[in-house]
Amino acid sequence: MSVVEVNSITFQYDRKHKPVINDLSFSIDQGEIVGILGASGSGKSTLLRILAGLEHPTEGKVVLSGKTVVDDQVCVSPEQRGVGMVFQDYALFPHLTVAQNVSFGLYRLPRKERAKRTEEMLELVHLSEFANRYPHELSGGQQQRVAIARALAPCPAVLLMDEPFSNLDADLKCSIRCEIQEILRKAKMTCLFVTHDHQDVEAICDRSIQMCENLT
Amino acid sequence: MFNSRYFRDIRRQYHSWWIPSVVAAFLVLLPIIAILISLFQPANENWAHIREYVLVDAVIQSSQLVVLTIIFTACLGVSLAWLVTAYDFPMKRFFSWALLLPLAIPPYIAAYTYSNMFSYTGIVQKTLRNYFGYSPDPSWFGVMSMRGAVMIFTLFLFPYVYLLTRAYFSKESGSYIENARLLGRGSWSIFFKVALPLCRPALVGSLMLVMFEVLSDYGVVSYFGVQTISTAIFKTWFGMYDVDSAVRLASWLMIGILGLFALEHFLRSNRKYSASTSKSRPFQPQRLHGGKGAIAWLVCALVFALSFLIPFIQLIVWATWSFESVWTSAFYELLANTFKVAVISTVIIMVVSILVANSCRLQSNVFSKLLAKSVTAGYSIPGAVIAVGVLHVFIGLDHQLSAWRGEDTLWLSLSIAMLIFGYVVRFMATGYNAVESGYEKMGTSYLQASRLLGLGITRTFWKVDLPLLRRALLSGAILTFVEILKELPLALLLRPFNFETLATKTYQYANDERIFEASIPSLCIIAVSMLSVLLFHRIGEEKQR
Repeated sequence: MSVVEVNSITFQYDRKHKPVINDLSFSIDQGEIVGILGASGSGKSTLLRILAGLEHPTEGKVVLSGKTVVDDQVCVSPEQRGVGMVFQDYALFPHLTVAQNVSFGLYRLPRKERAKRTEEMLELVHLSEFANRYPHELSGGQQQRVAIARALAPCPAVLLMDEPFSNLDADLKCSIRCEIQEILRKAKMTCLFVTHDHQDVEAICDRSIQMCENLT
Repeated sequence: MFNSRYFRDIRRQYHSWWIPSVVAAFLVLLPIIAILISLFQPANENWAHIREYVLVDAVIQSSQLVVLTIIFTACLGVSLAWLVTAYDFPMKRFFSWALLLPLAIPPYIAAYTYSNMFSYTGIVQKTLRNYFGYSPDPSWFGVMSMRGAVMIFTLFLFPYVYLLTRAYFSKESGSYIENARLLGRGSWSIFFKVALPLCRPALVGSLMLVMFEVLSDYGVVSYFGVQTISTAIFKTWFGMYDVDSAVRLASWLMIGILGLFALEHFLRSNRKYSASTSKSRPFQPQRLHGGKGAIAWLVCALVFALSFLIPFIQLIVWATWSFESVWTSAFYELLANTFKVAVISTVIIMVVSILVANSCRLQSNVFSKLLAKSVTAGYSIPGAVIAVGVLHVFIGLDHQLSAWRGEDTLWLSLSIAMLIFGYVVRFMATGYNAVESGYEKMGTSYLQASRLLGLGITRTFWKVDLPLLRRALLSGAILTFVEILKELPLALLLRPFNFETLATKTYQYANDERIFEASIPSLCIIAVSMLSVLLFHRIGEEKQR
């Protein structure tokens, strides 16, 4: 069954400019890791933001886990979509510890389950001993893993990652790529991520979507 | 198809924070609209008289006062700012923040302090007579005039110019000035050819602030007997009991100010200087040796003494003379009154600021910009004008209420609700700007992250925004609180019968020629105001880092 179904979406910022995304369709199956490739300005990040509900397509339809989240009539707000996202700058809450960041999206669970799930997630990303640190006390790679743990904690239908490797050093990149692939496989997570690097795609993706600059 | 998408977008953009924000903006605008509407109503028979005998004089004297004050504050403020940023001299670090302290002394307090020091029995003439055996012509010391008012405003408002241009010099212009030095220019020519033209936006902005302060002042001009539009409003209200004409005067003053606003906007958009390099850093100040250093020190010390130290010490001396008669249980009640209305108003202002700033951040469009503009409209409008508008609205409401309840009593316009409402309208901008800049610094990524983790905007506000906004909220609240404490004309017009605040008590003492008694409430105001000056300084330091 496809988790993500994108049905001929078009996006433009305003009427004066040509569309950033023009009539795009694809679908992703459960457990697939898909990379979106494209030059800067080709609308890769916009696509993620549309799936997340932070931007809204001018035309077209998005279906997540069989539920229509946006078309001409409906528009489900981001908090009700059940989508996880790892931002390019991670956006970890600076006033909360690592554990508090990870449990942030679990507020609906009872206290005990919340603690258990948080612990599980921290173990998954190998950061259990950093639970009480604050984000600014961690390295870039560690921050990224916290961001992933935080996004995965509420069991989203799909995980979106915006340029996950762009902020990392070249020699770190390789090991972190493998680590993230392992985490995603372990969590059986459907994942869609944006990159401009072919190597990322070759290393961890099942397949990729190439977005080209819209010249029409 | 098009229609359904249109409705979808409206539904999407609508959120629960809009309703209170729009209601708040409407309430804030209400007194301002009430004043503007009066322009379209026929004038009563008094108006021709007022126009002929009051308005013309008031306009002339107001403009004179504004123009002179602007010229002098500009000269004093810019040259001190340049001295402190471009040169190194003894005690420079101290002066660079001490020159902000005059802002802590409201001009009306300075006015009665100085006029008393220069009076026949004041310390200046007395010292000359008793120790030097010299009796000068008393008219030399006639500060109770236009001349005196300009002097007071210059001495106590120049820090606005100083603060903004100094920030500009030290932050924005570093590379240009170092370049000019490398090109072999001397320091005078750098000042006139590079620094002064570059700082023009900051200078114009700060002079606008000075102008608003002068136009909204009532204490200084009424004490010195200068006829301005503010005093004319008071005169028609309290002297002639002519509400319509007072409102009409207020509306003309407001239109004048709106015109000046438009002019400033036009001047600024016409000439836009912005840094061509994004990296700007402070430049190395030049060391002044020997005589030059001493002169620089002397200039700063003289200004500091005149604009803070001397009046401050004089007030303390007077306070020791009158302490026992003033510091009684009645004074505690006065303090409690003042703090009560100031705290309530500040809390309301901060809550409304958060509501509106958050709504505007969640959906940035033309409508939200309009909303932000209307909430902050009160800051450029003189206290007396807002007071008149608020009175107008409340009296109208009272008539409605009494007709509805069948009793003929004034209910709302005798309560402190009216005073609080006036404060809120007038000082909303102070709180709002602090909250808005706090939100700007925070950005939207935390909000988006939180929403994607399943939290709605209200829950996000409590768990993310509020803890991250804490500092901005605190500084906004302090600045607002101090502004409220200092405000005189609004409090004079809107306070309930027999209700005194520190500011009105000070004014009343001074007006009854009980200057020594006035010193204690004055010192209370100054002490609290120093808090906000220190805060200004710290914010400035942080920005430089």
